[in-house]
Amino acid sequence: MIRFDKANVTYKGGVSAMKDLDLEIGDGEFVVIVGLSGAGKSTLIRAINGLVPLTSGGLNVNGHDVPNLNAKGRRELRSEVGMIFQGFNLVDRTTVLNNVLMGRLHQVPLWRTLIGKYPEEDIQIAAKALDRVEILDRAYVRATNLSGGQRQRVGIARALAQEPKIVLADEPVASLDPPTSHVVMKYLQQISRDLGITTIVNLHFLDLATAYADRIIGLRDGELVFDGPGSDADEQTFRDIYGRSLTADDTMAKQAAL
Amino acid sequence: MSESPLRLPPKPKPSPWAIALSIGMVVFTVVCARTVGFSFSGLIEDLGRSNPVAQGLLEISWGEMFSERSRRAFLETLQMAVLGTTAGAAVSLPIALWSTEVGNPYRIPRILLRSFNNVVRAIPDLLWAGLFVLGVGIGALPGLLALFFFSMAVIVKLTADTLDGIDMGPIEAAKASGASHTQMLRTAVVPQILPAYSSYVLYDFELNLRASAVLGLVGAGGIGQRLDFFRNRGDWGKLWGLVLMFFLVVVVVEWLSVRIRRRLV
Repeated sequence: MIRFDKANVTYKGGVSAMKDLDLEIGDGEFVVIVGLSGAGKSTLIRAINGLVPLTSGGLNVNGHDVPNLNAKGRRELRSEVGMIFQGFNLVDRTTVLNNVLMGRLHQVPLWRTLIGKYPEEDIQIAAKALDRVEILDRAYVRATNLSGGQRQRVGIARALAQEPKIVLADEPVASLDPPTSHVVMKYLQQISRDLGITTIVNLHFLDLATAYADRIIGLRDGELVFDGPGSDADEQTFRDIYGRSLTADDTMAKQAAL
Repeated sequence: MSESPLRLPPKPKPSPWAIALSIGMVVFTVVCARTVGFSFSGLIEDLGRSNPVAQGLLEISWGEMFSERSRRAFLETLQMAVLGTTAGAAVSLPIALWSTEVGNPYRIPRILLRSFNNVVRAIPDLLWAGLFVLGVGIGALPGLLALFFFSMAVIVKLTADTLDGIDMGPIEAAKASGASHTQMLRTAVVPQILPAYSSYVLYDFELNLRASAVLGLVGAGGIGQRLDFFRNRGDWGKLWGLVLMFFLVVVVVEWLSVRIRRRLV
């Protein structure tokens, strides 16, 4: 369970990316956050694993009191929260398997990390994660030699290898073409359902949001402006979230048709 | 139909600064040449005179290239270069990491480490060797120590510069997965810089091999000490023999090193 309590984030220079946010996300929910760029989507996601500290207010994630964690507590929290990135954030020069094993680091002793010799059971967990996104056969290929969609699947496998309770995905399909985007979204949805992992995804394509979300959260200028089931969100909802009329750029299908 | 020529915008005038700087540099060079007493006529005169050193070239001692003592001196040079490079490279990786923002979140220690390394680098290898000869006496040890410090300075500098330009994405991913700082460095940073780092280590080995020829002049062991011996005796034929051998070794090592480095990066 994730609970924001009058949470605020103000960046240096005075930009306010989260304003008095009250929000509760239950276990196993599949939530999509929509909003224009700069609305505070990334801030919300990064607050959950402590990559962005709150300026004030409370945040509880699975019992962790996030604003008051020390370094060790923060690592513990992060080990329970997998993260997927827009730019994949893979180490290009190393193998797919090594990238996925990064998800096991919280379990692996330092000396083993230093010599690069991971325990067999961690390798098995990594392999299972790769198998789930159907890319196990590329385990010993260098990450550079994969296509964008394959790279994001490795990103998902890395998050899964943590055996997380929560998965955060920050614009996971923004660098992918439409068919590949659907593949990646389906994997995320399926993993959330099969393993009961709470999943929070930032998206800016409205059609993708309504197609996959159990629940949609709309942000505008750091404020919560919509919170409801995906089926409730229509064009008027999005016009309210965006504060303007919709254009072809806002939906993946229409943008692809351009 | 002929096209009328296009009219270009007015050509900018050369900057008065550039002109002044060019004239200044020419004048400065001439003044320097005068002060050190350089003249072309003198140079030609000197070259024409009979010269025992140059005559040694005609009677190169081929035997000296392979004599027992020279072989041992070469071996010592190689050992010094290998050990100095290896030891220097081993300490360089952590020092380079700790002297950059990626690897060390603490500002003051970072600045101290960088300054220390800049000081080490500002001292030329020959001076290091001279200092260590004073400290631990003549032989291979001061040469080895000099090469160690010199290697460290070179590799840390080059590696740290590479670290400043790495992809930050994997670092964020490692942090988000709950990795410790050292684990993050090992898994997200080191793989990114390893090819460049290996290439710098090989390059440093080339430098060390060449430096060892000079280090012997101040008594720091290796082939240089043997060169110095023949120079003092005026035994130019044997000196040239050694120089030629050394030249061949350096060329071969550089050729190999360049080929390996090209594959790395």
